[in-house]
Amino acid sequence: MKKLNIDLIIIGGGPAGMAAATQANDNGLEKVLIIERDCELGGILQQCIHDGFGLISFKERLTGGQYAQRYINQVEAKGIQVKLNTMVLEITSDKKVYAVNEEDGLLEISAKAIILAMGCRERTRAQVFINGARPAGVFTAGAVQRYINMEGFLPGKKAVILGSGDIGLIMARRMTLEGIKVEGVYEIMKTEGGLTRNIEQCLNDYGIVLNLSTTITKIHGNKRVEGVTVSQVDASMKPIEGTDRYIECDMVVLSVGLIPENELSKNVGIELDSLTKGPIVDENMMTSIPGVFAAGNVVAVFDLVDYVSQTGVIAAKGAMKYINGTLDLTNTYISVNSGENVSVLIPQKIRKSNLDNKQDFFLRVREENEKMKLETEWSDKLVQAGKFSMVKPPEMIHITLGEKELAQFTDEDICFHMRKES
Amino acid sequence: MLNHFYSLINENNELKKYEINAERTDQNVIHLSGEVDVWQHVIDIGHIAGSIKGIKGVVNHITAQNIKPQKKDNASLISGAKQIGIIDTMDVVIVGAGVIGTGIARELAKYDLKIALIEKNSDISEGTTKANNGMIHSGYDSKTGTLKAEMNVKGNAMYSKWAEELNFPFNRTGSFVAGFSEEDDEYLEMYYERGKANGVPGIEIISAQKAREFEPNLHHTITKLLWTPSAGYVEPYEVTEALAENAVDNGVSIMLSTEVLNIITKENNVQSVVTNKGIIQTSWVINAAGLYADEIAEMVGDCFYTIHPRRGTLVLFDKSNKGIIERFIGTPPKNFTKGGGPMQTPEGNPIWGPSAIEVPDKENVDVDQQDLDFIINKSAHLVEGISRQSVITFFSGLRACTYTEDFIIEASEKVKGFIHVSGIQSPGLASAPAIAQRVENIFIELNPSTGKKENFNPIREKPIHFRECTFKEKDELIKKDPKYAHVICRCETITEAEIIRAIRGKIPARTLDAVKRRTRAGMGRCQGGFCGPRVVEIISRELGIDPTEVTLKGNTSNVLISHSRK
Amino acid sequence: MEKISYTCIVCPKSCKGELIVKDNNEFETSGYICKRGIEYAINEYRSPKRMLTTTVKMLNGTFSNLPVVSDNEVDKDKLFACLNYLYSTKLEAPIKEGDIIVANILNTGVNIIAARDMKIKS
Repeated sequence: MKKLNIDLIIIGGGPAGMAAATQANDNGLEKVLIIERDCELGGILQQCIHDGFGLISFKERLTGGQYAQRYINQVEAKGIQVKLNTMVLEITSDKKVYAVNEEDGLLEISAKAIILAMGCRERTRAQVFINGARPAGVFTAGAVQRYINMEGFLPGKKAVILGSGDIGLIMARRMTLEGIKVEGVYEIMKTEGGLTRNIEQCLNDYGIVLNLSTTITKIHGNKRVEGVTVSQVDASMKPIEGTDRYIECDMVVLSVGLIPENELSKNVGIELDSLTKGPIVDENMMTSIPGVFAAGNVVAVFDLVDYVSQTGVIAAKGAMKYINGTLDLTNTYISVNSGENVSVLIPQKIRKSNLDNKQDFFLRVREENEKMKLETEWSDKLVQAGKFSMVKPPEMIHITLGEKELAQFTDEDICFHMRKES
Repeated sequence: MLNHFYSLINENNELKKYEINAERTDQNVIHLSGEVDVWQHVIDIGHIAGSIKGIKGVVNHITAQNIKPQKKDNASLISGAKQIGIIDTMDVVIVGAGVIGTGIARELAKYDLKIALIEKNSDISEGTTKANNGMIHSGYDSKTGTLKAEMNVKGNAMYSKWAEELNFPFNRTGSFVAGFSEEDDEYLEMYYERGKANGVPGIEIISAQKAREFEPNLHHTITKLLWTPSAGYVEPYEVTEALAENAVDNGVSIMLSTEVLNIITKENNVQSVVTNKGIIQTSWVINAAGLYADEIAEMVGDCFYTIHPRRGTLVLFDKSNKGIIERFIGTPPKNFTKGGGPMQTPEGNPIWGPSAIEVPDKENVDVDQQDLDFIINKSAHLVEGISRQSVITFFSGLRACTYTEDFIIEASEKVKGFIHVSGIQSPGLASAPAIAQRVENIFIELNPSTGKKENFNPIREKPIHFRECTFKEKDELIKKDPKYAHVICRCETITEAEIIRAIRGKIPARTLDAVKRRTRAGMGRCQGGFCGPRVVEIISRELGIDPTEVTLKGNTSNVLISHSRK
Repeated sequence: MEKISYTCIVCPKSCKGELIVKDNNEFETSGYICKRGIEYAINEYRSPKRMLTTTVKMLNGTFSNLPVVSDNEVDKDKLFACLNYLYSTKLEAPIKEGDIIVANILNTGVNIIAARDMKIKS
């Protein structure tokens, strides 16, 4: 077994991992290693050939590949060490990483700090309980995206898409442009899951119909998909009798949500948040194990890659402080709580002593609404943290509290509320 | 006998309106015909006929409205086979490569016989076997005196030897039947008495408190339990794979994608089997065709049973729930099947079910809402701490049931050279070793001069599972074959080396599902979302076929349709 | 006077605004929070344009297809003609991100460029 000593190991070479690696390098850390299970860096970005990435980071409309390439070029230029085709089998709480690849065989790498950046995976058919047979032709949207965009295969001729998340919408357009007939997008919720601009440019541009409050109740065909039954659903999302309709198709594309991939985190005993399904992190994106940080979609599913990279930068800065011994690890945490109309919230806890002159927060709302204000509440104080003309559950909201606001923090828990502007 | 049947029909308010024609043959087989409104009535009438004492079998041709009888015309295929002509000569042809057929093949491989095991699907285990929950029943629930009861108790005891020789995981954990009320206690008593009569070792009734000492997450409302320590569990497709590999090692030819179209007899002697691959000469045919056993028997003119598919759905959970319950928990039965309940696979995934629904179509393996509701509601009353959100997949299989609801394992009374192994429904998996032995005895009794092979090797070597190795073993494996360092399936930690080995194996895995059953690639929580494209690539490379030719489970189940650019 | 609503697709905010075309052919807008939205609405009225992203067949690349993107927006009604042109194109590795794959595609004044590096398949 080959043994290595590294300052910072980053598990995952997607946008979070690469941003973390370049940041750590910029801060002067020499022994940084990215471990990537695929044959190249970039992660899922490489299969996202559509544009719209990087508006915040680069003020440009880039494709996924272009966005990834900018970071890959930096990683290469800085000479950051990368192990591709390498699978991490286990991490331990004393920060040893066990990994395998064909060149090195089994590796035991001891690190001063670890950043988890494994991303997320797609929810499958069983997790949304679609009944029927189990033929070929049922795919997650991401698998279809990889087949079409990277490997050059068409996995069907006539598709029905379940779920109106962004990947489903993007794939509706991609499949149409590749000559696959899209027979419609079906969404069990009463509102669309993806961004409005994607409804506009991916569905409306091509006359693809979005059917809300409708779901697939059965898949037909034993060998290959022959069709689906769709039904409208009531307020409790149960199919309404008599509304079922048979649609002929040879392919079912599922875009029914993403889940942070945390098997490594679970096995080492990192505390997870039941809402985000990712590690509970603090102001530096540090998990419940000191010296183990997490960034990007492994923490919570973000809607914009720019935010994913930003969390990588935060985690890298935190890891640097941890390695240099300048991180306070002893003071008690202040808990950061979701209040009115706030669901996901990151970080979930902060140590006041570790705060710099600004602190980023990422959150999602529970319900869509117009003319809203975000308020931060602690003790009996309310501070306005931002105004929003429109808030929607699919959009992650990013706010930065500055020195002035942070100065008002006491040792009491903080709560965020998204309230109607009076 | 027929009068008794008609009087039973007339006593039934739902069934008495129908005009049913029943005829009895000199073999005491009842043939039924007529038309009814719904499929369940076809089944009910068949069961009434099957319950009459002294009946050998029920052939049920009753049709239900709106359900077209499935009749396949093999004429053109048969003429194609005749054109190919004779492709081989065998001593024994076994039809069906499920756990029963492969078990028989491996048992008969001890003898100096040329054996072909033929299977219409593209892989072994593709029928009833693959959708079994893996329970090795202890044998308390079959009626005393039935062949089922005898085979089950014997088969259960034989599993330890099978597991040892064939190196498949087998956990003899024991199983429960849970009681919640005084009414249930009566059932438990009945099972206890029956289990005693059937010869189930160690059977007893215990308090919930005692049971919780070793099975702590039993539902808090359970009061008393029937406890049978001999029950266990396996992965049915692993058992079948092990049997098939050992059979091949001992000279059996396995022919996949080979469908029996006809069986030729001459003066009531089996002559040959006509398949889509050509004609195989043989003087013995063993019918282990599962759902299609009645159709195979019909080919030799000795069909005295109709197989009616009874669908069972199973729900599989993420193995992060490993250990929450380790033993099967049953309840008093419904209809003609055992009440399925929660248990755990050898890999540690909780598995709940099966349900039991009669369906007319032998290929209908749909999962319907009623199946899921039945399983989830039922199991949720038996175990605590497993969330519905951790379901990773669900699937259905079909039990091959006759109307007499017992196993039929006997040489044909009409045709020499034909052995029926039919109606092998639950607990068929548990009975498999005893069934194989019984068929061996029948065959040897009729062919007493059959000699034993000198070099029969009962051992099948344990396959290498990278995920189960220590770090040191992993390191050594990678040194021997670097492909062990290429993890393809992330969820289950399955390497490229294991996948290649499955594709090049003794029973080559040529489809995604076959690779999945051999290696577990794609069986995890992402259900092949990430590794599916990689496995397609490896299969295409290893078999030298285009990726668009790779299938999920054989003919016409292609994963990809075309290349996007020429 | 004409009043048309357009949902801006430039950024995730997806502003739902309105374009008012006055009788003197001057424009007025409401609902867009930045000038990109205003530009988008006017373009949608005059001549809608879209970015073009697709893949082109690679003969010897590490992947079978190379993602490409237009360096500017293409007239919406020329999109399929451009795609069909690209579908019949074949490329050889190595390619650098930003390399021009097709210059001035179908005389639209727009170049199609490589959207990532592509190395030679080993």
